[in-house]
Amino acid sequence: MSTVTVSTGLGHAGAVSLAVCVRGLQRLRARPVLLIPTVVMPVFFVISFTGAFSSLTRIEGYGTSNIFNWMAPYAALQGAVFAGVGGATSAADDLENGFFDRLLLTPGSRLPILIGTIGYSAVRSFIPTTGVLAVAALGGLQLPGGVLGLVSLFAATAGMAVVFCLFGLTIVYRLRTLRSMMIVQVVGFSSMFLSIGQVPIEFLDGWLHHAARLNPLTNVLRLSRQGFVGELSWDLTWPGLVAIAAMTLVGGLSALRALMKMAP
Amino acid sequence: MTVVVEATDLVRHFGDVVAVDGVDLQVEEGEVFGFLGPNGAGKSTVVRMLTTLLHPTSGSARVGGCDVISQAGEVRRMIGVALQDAAIDPLMTGSELMRLQAVLHGIPRSVIKTRGPELLERVGLTAAVDRRVGTYSGGMRRRLDLALSLVHEPPILFLDEPTTGLDPTSRQALWEEVRRLNDELGTTVFLTTQYLEEADQLAGRIAIIDAGKLVREGTPTVLKSTVGAPTLRVEVGPEHVETTTTVMTGFGAERPSREGRVAIGLDEGAARVADVVRALDAAGVTVIHLELDAPSLDDVFAHATGRRLEGSGDEQ
Repeated sequence: MSTVTVSTGLGHAGAVSLAVCVRGLQRLRARPVLLIPTVVMPVFFVISFTGAFSSLTRIEGYGTSNIFNWMAPYAALQGAVFAGVGGATSAADDLENGFFDRLLLTPGSRLPILIGTIGYSAVRSFIPTTGVLAVAALGGLQLPGGVLGLVSLFAATAGMAVVFCLFGLTIVYRLRTLRSMMIVQVVGFSSMFLSIGQVPIEFLDGWLHHAARLNPLTNVLRLSRQGFVGELSWDLTWPGLVAIAAMTLVGGLSALRALMKMAP
Repeated sequence: MTVVVEATDLVRHFGDVVAVDGVDLQVEEGEVFGFLGPNGAGKSTVVRMLTTLLHPTSGSARVGGCDVISQAGEVRRMIGVALQDAAIDPLMTGSELMRLQAVLHGIPRSVIKTRGPELLERVGLTAAVDRRVGTYSGGMRRRLDLALSLVHEPPILFLDEPTTGLDPTSRQALWEEVRRLNDELGTTVFLTTQYLEEADQLAGRIAIIDAGKLVREGTPTVLKSTVGAPTLRVEVGPEHVETTTTVMTGFGAERPSREGRVAIGLDEGAARVADVVRALDAAGVTVIHLELDAPSLDDVFAHATGRRLEGSGDEQ
């Protein structure tokens, strides 16, 4: 029997991850309409929320008097949730049309497939974040935190996309259908609303206050918003990074477990 | 000869459904092995287990000398797979898919630069390489799927119903490519099909599966010879079916047939056809149509299961 010489190991794993990520972007290029929910919805949020609540930031406690500075990071994170769901949706699509079998026939580990998919979601999250910032800039968005504020926002949105992609993949690998994405969307929206997206935590009463305090997305919102309401501080940075890291770890393990159970 | 695909008492349950029930088979290096059976017989489930996509409920399988569970990565390195539903992303172009497939199998970029176009040319897709696969015909998708499965030059190729839904010309082209792979490169081919003609044309050895169990295995010639006598089929009006059956079973055992026809295994061969016709005439039966067939794989299937393969009526 002849033998086949192929590259293996870390180099191969990295190449597979990159190829899976690039494939997602190629699909977006082929069908830009896939971007509509990812970009249009958060842009719609920033326009509608800043319009409806334009006087809200005159109240003491927001840290900024500019409603765009308050709402734009929130809308960008909403877009990142969509981007994460989009990555998981493409995996669900692959499962339904059989393409996923091609990925599973890769000789190496399953992990690079997972990493490629979340990488695609992270890259995809830059598009709605940029769109939201562009629209908010037209409305008068300011950046007191400077470039680091932008870096902080893009890091937070990429992290959110990864987290929700992993959560979506866990569901998809278990239920193996595109329709399961509804669960992820509901959880994504609910958890965003049960955070400090619209008002500071001090303004929340009763169970909403407790929910927002315990919600890890509150820390992610503080991380993403800090450069838009003032200077960056380590006290607002590390809890956000820890929240993203913890959610990524939990999501990654559960997604990998679901993948290995589905396709050992 | 070396055995390159081996299954021992392979079983797969889906809940209460037993999809594969104790399959034993061996495929030797360099042969085209036909795995024949009707829809839902368990062919694809067996292929999915042999290609590491599905764990058996019990039993074991080795491909290329490696266990499909504990050495799955090694198995995947040695096999090319074209599954039943061509697993092709309609939003990608042929060349994008070829590059992706090469990366998935760890083929260096320098190699795929020459091998990719060669493979696409071999399956006649050079002109369509930059078109999105969504614009391809069914035959083009199947050919692309075949080219993709060959990108890492696997010594063992699994083709799961590669010609289902294809027109005769596309089917013929795919058969020729399979023959060429086997003849020129010595590729072992494990081919599942529900088409008798396909199995007969391509496979050196055939296993017939029905309801998850292997019911026959051997070369087409040997399998046909086990059926024995040629089949005599007579088509009569509905009012004569019963009389015809009575008369004809005097010349051989009844065989499954379509409604309005009576078929028997004609014990002493073609020499008795005239006697049958005379007997039917004497019984007052008007024969609409009569044909005598040498044993076919459909007869083998019918002999083993008591049923005809779905769609095989067209070939009778």
